[in-house]
Amino acid sequence: MTKQKHNFCLAIEFFRKISSMKQTKILFYSVFSILFLLVGAFAAFSQEDIETVNDSAFENQTRPPVVFFHDTHNENAAIEECNACHHMFEDGKRLDDDDSIGMECSECHCSKMKDSMADLIRVYHLQCGGCHLKQKTGPVMCGECHRKR
Amino acid sequence: MVGVAFTVFLAGSFFRLISMWRLAKKKDGLIFSYISIFFALRSIVHWILPFAGVSMRKHPAMTIVAFLFHVCLFAVPIFLSAHVILFKESWDISWWRLPDMAAEIMSWSVIGSCLFFLGRRIFLPEVRYLTSLSDYLILAAVAVPFISGLWSYHQWAAFQVVMIVHIISGEIMLMIIPFTRLSHMLFFPFTRGYMGSEFGAVRHAKDW
Repeated sequence: MTKQKHNFCLAIEFFRKISSMKQTKILFYSVFSILFLLVGAFAAFSQEDIETVNDSAFENQTRPPVVFFHDTHNENAAIEECNACHHMFEDGKRLDDDDSIGMECSECHCSKMKDSMADLIRVYHLQCGGCHLKQKTGPVMCGECHRKR
Repeated sequence: MVGVAFTVFLAGSFFRLISMWRLAKKKDGLIFSYISIFFALRSIVHWILPFAGVSMRKHPAMTIVAFLFHVCLFAVPIFLSAHVILFKESWDISWWRLPDMAAEIMSWSVIGSCLFFLGRRIFLPEVRYLTSLSDYLILAAVAVPFISGLWSYHQWAAFQVVMIVHIISGEIMLMIIPFTRLSHMLFFPFTRGYMGSEFGAVRHAKDW
């Protein structure tokens, strides 16, 4: 039996099994599963829910976390390319066709340095504040990003 | 702007020290014949330690406040975490950082000390006699960077404006050091050393 046919038989068997369950129960589970998948897919593709900048390397935070609405920021700043911020370097060269999505900044920027915390803070500040200064827009003072709530 | 402030402070300090050296040579050249590192240091040490001199023991409140004030005045700007991080950002150098809570208490100490000095200038007749408008202005110049710093740290009303006040007032304080009474920061080792040498090497007496 080919693999496809085998799968087909399994599926028939599965449907036979569930047809013995109560109709209402099936309906309930189906609707629940579809909703779950939809929410999951939405969450996976949208960064709308990101409201602060977090990095697990910052264990003892001395300032309030930075308020940052990912999608709103990028709409306002007209940033199209993910690697405009989520950059990737190789041998000191920035790769145009690669990005670091899903990585924490500390994975690269907090490795072999003496005062790793100050170094990590530095790259965060240069990444955000540096761009704000360059573009002459966006917050640059301490309290404008590290807002007390 | 920070560059201008540091340049004025450093160049101004250098200029003031050189010109004072020249003036001393011209007007009181005799000092160079008996100035002594030993007696100078002996006097400096006695005046830099709390309660090591008679005058300090006679005025315990002033002594405590003055020492607390000077320690905090220097430690907070140099070791404040926000300042160290700014140096780290610009020049990629960093050093030990004060915990924010300690920096906050120390900043309040500086402000409290300034109020104490102000009260002293107003209420003690012997101090009021020696006080001029510039003394009040200098007290304000020292207090404003600390008040505005705490203000910005706590993000009280309009802290963005206060932050700019903080930066500018800090730079003004730095720049006026060589040209006002704040120059005792530069001159104290020399004035103290001068007195120490005269009392030690000429009069064979203590000057503390």
